[in-house]
Amino acid sequence: MRKFARFAVTFLSFAALHAHAADLRAMINPAEIASVFPVAAKLRVVNVWALWCAPCVAEIPDFRAMDAAFGSEVAFAGVNMDDMLPDASAKPVKAFLDKQKITYPNVYYKGNADSLGKYLNFNGSLPFTIVYDSKGKELWRQDGRIDREQMIAKLRDLLRRKS
Amino acid sequence: MKKMWILVVLLIAAIGCGAEERAARADELAVGAKAPAFSLVNAVDGKKLEMKPTDGNLKVVVFTCNQCPYAKAFEPRIIELAKKFQNQGVRFYAIDPNDDSKYDVETLANMKARAQEKDYPFPYLKDGDSSVAHAYGARVTPHVFVVDGSGVIRYRGYVDDSAKPEDRKTTGLSDALMSLLNGRDVANGATNAFGCTIKWKS
Repeated sequence: MRKFARFAVTFLSFAALHAHAADLRAMINPAEIASVFPVAAKLRVVNVWALWCAPCVAEIPDFRAMDAAFGSEVAFAGVNMDDMLPDASAKPVKAFLDKQKITYPNVYYKGNADSLGKYLNFNGSLPFTIVYDSKGKELWRQDGRIDREQMIAKLRDLLRRKS
Repeated sequence: MKKMWILVVLLIAAIGCGAEERAARADELAVGAKAPAFSLVNAVDGKKLEMKPTDGNLKVVVFTCNQCPYAKAFEPRIIELAKKFQNQGVRFYAIDPNDDSKYDVETLANMKARAQEKDYPFPYLKDGDSSVAHAYGARVTPHVFVVDGSGVIRYRGYVDDSAKPEDRKTTGLSDALMSLLNGRDVANGATNAFGCTIKWKS
């Protein structure tokens, strides 16, 4: 009985620890980012962020809530820029995403910052969010922190137009 | 009394809108534009320092700050470049445009402490109302502008395209200064500064 209890505790601890294991993928080439999106999604949302950017961190729960609310029609992905700093590592990023219970994929971007800026056509200040259609055509972008209600309304509007 | 309250509310609303419009208007000055003059307090000695765009000297204006990890990552590089190019007559001005009423780390005292700790070879100026950052259209820290002796902006954007020496493909600021010191045009005059959004005083 004691053995079973010990096994149960170990199992439950393991399950709890891995229940919200974040999906963090290291990438160097900006063009690879599109590969994280499921084909079926009507809209693709890319949020560029970093742990050292306070407004970025503050809006992560908004993305978690939207990801849960929209289901498979809208696919979210984060592009983390922590690696732009010398001596950075993916470990604290993974720990943060685990703690925040983020289940949508995140890219740990290890490439050149300017190359990503040119690829996504963004002006260099974080956070930054872009919405694409399933073919990769840009539909909307937000420079700076999002307003959750405004973004939900925008996504609903874009979905209506797609259906 | 009721009318007075309505007036007060309208006035507050007008001030709020003004601040937003001001932020939205602040376009980054283009290469070829005239650089604005400024007169700011140097945190190191507490004295006002004036930058006259048409003083005949090549100048580097760097918007930076105490709190941004990305700006801090570039700090050794800016110090290295300042030491190298000041010997050739280039003047460096580091400006902190962040709101020190909201962020204690950006006060004159903390700026002075950082400048002394890191042994800045240039003045560290407080842009207390962010007006100089607005005038230049700076967006982030670090954000660099190179001004020639006649007051014209010849380069604007990043220091380098990466804070990690091993990832650097383009050394924007250094290349621009080398070109200008050798009497050549800057090949890549406008780059995309990356960093922390300026904490505007509003």
